[in-house]
Amino acid sequence: MADIRIESVTKYYGSQAALRGVSLDVHNGEFVALLGPSGCGKTTLLRAVAGLDRQTNGRIEIGGRDVSDLPPRSRGLAMVFQNYAVFPHLRVRDNIAFGLLMTGTAKDRIERQVARAAALMHIEALLDRYPVQLSGGQRQRVAVARALAVEPAVLLMDEPLSNLDALLRLEMRTELKAVLASARTTTLYVTHDQTEAMGLADRIAIMHEGRIEQIGSPLEIYRQPKSIFVGGFIGNPPMNFLRLPVSGSVVRLGTLILNPPAGINGPVMLGIRPEDLEVAETGAGFAFRVHVPEPLGPHILLTGDVEGQSMRVAVAPDRVMQPGDVVMLRPNTARLSWMNPDTGLALENS
Amino acid sequence: MRGQTLRPYLLIMPSLAFLLLLFFVPLVQTVALAFSTTTGTGVGNFVQMLDDLDFRDSVRNTFGLVLCVVPLQLLAALGMSMMLRHVRWGRDIILWIWTIPLGISDLAAGLVWLAILTDKGYLNTILFEVGVISGPQSWLTYETPGALFLAILTAEFWRATAIVFVVLVAGVQLIPREYEEAASVFGATAWQRFRRVTLPLLRPSIQTALILRTVLAFEAFAVVLAVGGRNFPVLVSQAYLWQFTNQNYNVAACYAVLVTLVSLAATLVILIALRPRAGESA
Ligand SMILES: Nc1ncnc2c1ncn2[C@@H]1O[C@H](COP(=O)(O)OP(=O)(O)O)[C@@H](O)[C@H]1O
Ligand SMILES: [Mg+2]
Repeated sequence: MADIRIESVTKYYGSQAALRGVSLDVHNGEFVALLGPSGCGKTTLLRAVAGLDRQTNGRIEIGGRDVSDLPPRSRGLAMVFQNYAVFPHLRVRDNIAFGLLMTGTAKDRIERQVARAAALMHIEALLDRYPVQLSGGQRQRVAVARALAVEPAVLLMDEPLSNLDALLRLEMRTELKAVLASARTTTLYVTHDQTEAMGLADRIAIMHEGRIEQIGSPLEIYRQPKSIFVGGFIGNPPMNFLRLPVSGSVVRLGTLILNPPAGINGPVMLGIRPEDLEVAETGAGFAFRVHVPEPLGPHILLTGDVEGQSMRVAVAPDRVMQPGDVVMLRPNTARLSWMNPDTGLALENS
Repeated sequence: MRGQTLRPYLLIMPSLAFLLLLFFVPLVQTVALAFSTTTGTGVGNFVQMLDDLDFRDSVRNTFGLVLCVVPLQLLAALGMSMMLRHVRWGRDIILWIWTIPLGISDLAAGLVWLAILTDKGYLNTILFEVGVISGPQSWLTYETPGALFLAILTAEFWRATAIVFVVLVAGVQLIPREYEEAASVFGATAWQRFRRVTLPLLRPSIQTALILRTVLAFEAFAVVLAVGGRNFPVLVSQAYLWQFTNQNYNVAACYAVLVTLVSLAATLVILIALRPRAGESA
């Protein structure tokens, strides 16, 4: 068991910055997901923690020990690679035993650990096969079993589910969560899939262009995005942003009068999640013109515009909508986000 | 439709004809030659080959050379291709220099080493200049079989390690880095990574390189002849001798058949020794 402390880590490839000063604490036994679009530096950060690449500046501590200059094998961690990296020349059994064998573990203990890891990942029947005889999902299980077998203090995973088909991904996600929760292994998990991050992680670190933009529990990230980027990245469909003028310290939207954080002049960005809007049969609201209605089952997704600004709305599936319809909408005022349109950062309610 | 199905065969035909004409026909002719005697068909030529005064020496020299030079070349080429992976700057230049011997003909290579190693050669001159020896030393004579063997070994090693190296480098580049990275994360030292991951994954390339190199080593001729002359008979040089000096084409053919059989046997041994284990590949 160990915690990970990442302090002001930067990484340059030539003159190009892949990490621009990342600090992150992963507590003992915690599951943190690094979430961000492709190319934002997630893999680079994970590889620096693993010791596969050296960071340009900054410190990385594991279990209170500065590991910045230690080779991967001395860092006491295990890793699941995106393409699994299951050794093709070894049987599943020897793949899972690999880490234990390298550290000179006694034979009977290796056997016990392999059996246990194989049981956890439900691959007991595959132990004598070679990787070419396995499906993608089975190889993935072997990769996880190999990591679990060494009972690592720290587990790193780089998009371990991204090569699986949707159904298998959902199944593995649930299983991973159960297995890792019972092991209480400190886990740093890289993904670009927000559902995965939300479903698995204790905390999510949103990365953007080599920086951590926000870190918090899945619900915090979802409810209180600290920037337009985070709001627009999280949620499916993502948060809507309307650019609105502030006059007399209030914002008018249709017949609604909204209160942004105090002391704002000029325009603000109002963030509203599609599901935080409801149809206003009576009372105050704003007019929304439907362009495309998509009945998705649990709700109808409406794409349209408000005073010329585009917006997506998820409404209850109990009404028929046509393109061109105009409906009155009202937001849940407790769930509004206010952003500075120039900096893209959230305005604090003071 | 008929023209469509015939076309591939028509296109392949010239290469088949070329191979058949220039490989199988001479092969059959050679075998026929080896077995034809003045009294009909028989093994008389082979008996004459066995009675050849230099036969035992040529067998011993050939196998001695192959068994020494091929493993050495494999080790060196493995080392070179492993080192090259850690080079960032000038990788191409190093690769280029290491493969220069590939572009030099056998005979030229032999003559280069002859110029270095004769009693008036560069090595003698240098050793004399620095005072290690007091006069010209002869290494390439019948009286110095050890030195002669070492000289030919060195020349052959210098000339033909590059071909092993090139095959291995190509193989190394095919191995995804992730395997070694996984190994290092799971606690493997540099040696363990090489021994447990890289080497097994490189086995198909090692197999190819070994077969290629072993067959060529059994046929080593120009370098041996240039450096060793008559003092270091090998199977192929004996074939040459019987063909052109003794003008006995039948015994020469026997030597040629023997070389072919030995090469085939060596190929078979390597194929079996380094075959993929059951189930390992699809
Ligand atoms: N070996 C490398 N050489 C040069 N640039 C790299 C290298 N690895 C990654 N990068 C760059 O660093 C940035 C971050 O990459 P990466 O960490 O792989 O992103 P992610 O995993 O979030 O998709 C990208 O812009 C990528 O092009
Ligand atoms: Mg990545």
